[in-house]
Amino acid sequence: MFHSRAEALALALPAAVFAAVVFLAPVVILLAEGFRNAEGWSVAAYTGFLSDPLNRTVFLRTLRLGATVTVVAAVIGYAAAFAIVNLPPTAKGRMIGLVVLPLMISPVARTYAWIVILGRTGIVNQALTSVGLTDEPIRFLFTETAVFVGLLQLFLPLMILALISALENMPKDAIPAARVLGANWFQVFWKVILPLTKEGLVIGGTLVFTGSLTAYITPAILGGSKVLMLETLLFQRVTVANDFVSASVIAFILIVMSFAANLLLKRLATARSKR
Amino acid sequence: MKNIMLASSALLLIGTTAASAQEKTLTISVYGFAQDAFKELVYDPFEAKCGCNLVVETGNSVERLAKMEANKANPVVDMAVVSMADALSATRSGLIEKIDTSKLSNFDKLYDIAKDPNGDGMSVGYTFYATSIVYRSDKVEITSWADLLGDKLAGHVALPNVTTNQGPPTLYMIGEALGQNTPDLKAAIAAVGEKKDDIVTFYVKSSQLVQLMQQEEIWAAPIGRFSWEGFTKMDLPIKWATPKEGQTGGMNVMVLAKDSKNQDLALQFMDFWLSTEIQTALAEKLVDSPANKEVKVSPEIAENLTYGEETVRNLKLIPSAVALDNREAWLSEWNAKVGQ
Repeated sequence: MFHSRAEALALALPAAVFAAVVFLAPVVILLAEGFRNAEGWSVAAYTGFLSDPLNRTVFLRTLRLGATVTVVAAVIGYAAAFAIVNLPPTAKGRMIGLVVLPLMISPVARTYAWIVILGRTGIVNQALTSVGLTDEPIRFLFTETAVFVGLLQLFLPLMILALISALENMPKDAIPAARVLGANWFQVFWKVILPLTKEGLVIGGTLVFTGSLTAYITPAILGGSKVLMLETLLFQRVTVANDFVSASVIAFILIVMSFAANLLLKRLATARSKR
Repeated sequence: MKNIMLASSALLLIGTTAASAQEKTLTISVYGFAQDAFKELVYDPFEAKCGCNLVVETGNSVERLAKMEANKANPVVDMAVVSMADALSATRSGLIEKIDTSKLSNFDKLYDIAKDPNGDGMSVGYTFYATSIVYRSDKVEITSWADLLGDKLAGHVALPNVTTNQGPPTLYMIGEALGQNTPDLKAAIAAVGEKKDDIVTFYVKSSQLVQLMQQEEIWAAPIGRFSWEGFTKMDLPIKWATPKEGQTGGMNVMVLAKDSKNQDLALQFMDFWLSTEIQTALAEKLVDSPANKEVKVSPEIAENLTYGEETVRNLKLIPSAVALDNREAWLSEWNAKVGQ
């Protein structure tokens, strides 16, 4: 298509320069801040950050919530995606539309809705009290449970969509073949569906996990300062303490966590298919 | 934001074409709140009066002070409004200058506590607010700051986070109620830490509280008087407590940037803002409670403000030096006892 490689590179140059100047350079400058102290290069900011028990609690909470949301999203996602893929075309289109619909509503509005739903007088507590499961309304707001529910609702569609496309690319006769050969449903899932859709799971898992790590609005509104996560802590460091060093430490930790999650998921996927 | 952009692009144009016309420009640094009202009531009338340009920078006080510090050698801002404690911090970093109050014709009209809040002649108060407890009078009766941590409110109370403006004053008064009010707020923070499971949330934005109150999530919370109006509009029995330890609060002050080239103009602007006319206009729109004691407003307006000699005299404010010297310690004490 192009006369030479040089020409192609020349065409890509403006975009590359733009990205380097307005994205890459500021990120590098910001992150470098975390690796310096008065004497020069140092990891003191990192060791200092992780030696504070509060920061460790927040880090572990972020990791734990991200992992649980991802696992639960995968379980629900497989069930939903499997049901949707097997629908006739019109119904399938409508269901996919319903899955996508929440993505078109602002996360702020969706998160505020949870405040009403999960509140003391909200429908969850009303249902629980009327069934007699509890006498006193349960406090959900400003707990990890609330943040978990909010994040799961926020990112589940991404998992379902990734799994739908993976399931659609699976050979149609793989499941009947396994059944004919005597596999039960659990074996079908574990030995046939999972290996054949692992790429979808890796994509969905990475999206959900990184999404949960970096979402700000949901933990800020549903968790507040009692359920600090790394991203809400980052915001607090910058706006309250004007402490850009800790903020860049947190930003770097979040980036590393996202890459690590992606690598780990890919690793798990290849390990399974070798068996 | 739009105003700033317009103002700064207008400035650019003037800078290139009419620099020789010597149009004077005053740059002020203010809180981002109620800017539409300020433009209409303060900025536009002042521009018309002085025949100068007003450039307005907004933001929270931490970032605005950081900016002033960064531009210390060549100040951009001529005049700023900050909290009392931040004014002392700016004094200590050498960012601001003594205010020549003889040039402020409205100075004598100010309440005494606003005249020289930090006792160093570096700032003048222009508004203040009371902080007390808003509560559901059908559920509880509140007579003391200690009631916030009492059994009746367990599971039904929100407290301000220590990082907010209401946080330290609330802890200060809880300490007062416990009879152990030391500047490090240790006793109060420990008491809150012990009861942290009974606190619904440690709020960061008071706007959130109206919804929590409406949903019966909380029955009480300490707030600044400027947030009171939103609570009165609810269809619930809501009261403003007058605890026996008194009410606390905060004051915002005006400061003059060091080495500013427009000091006279900055002083004119301060004087304008402190005038009875402007302070009355701001009070009537419920933007700021007046620091000028000549301001007279109707009882309905006064209800939503921190107003009147009596109220003002009884405010227990945290001294700026105490706030400034202990801020970091409060935060780490809070993180250790409450934050986890």
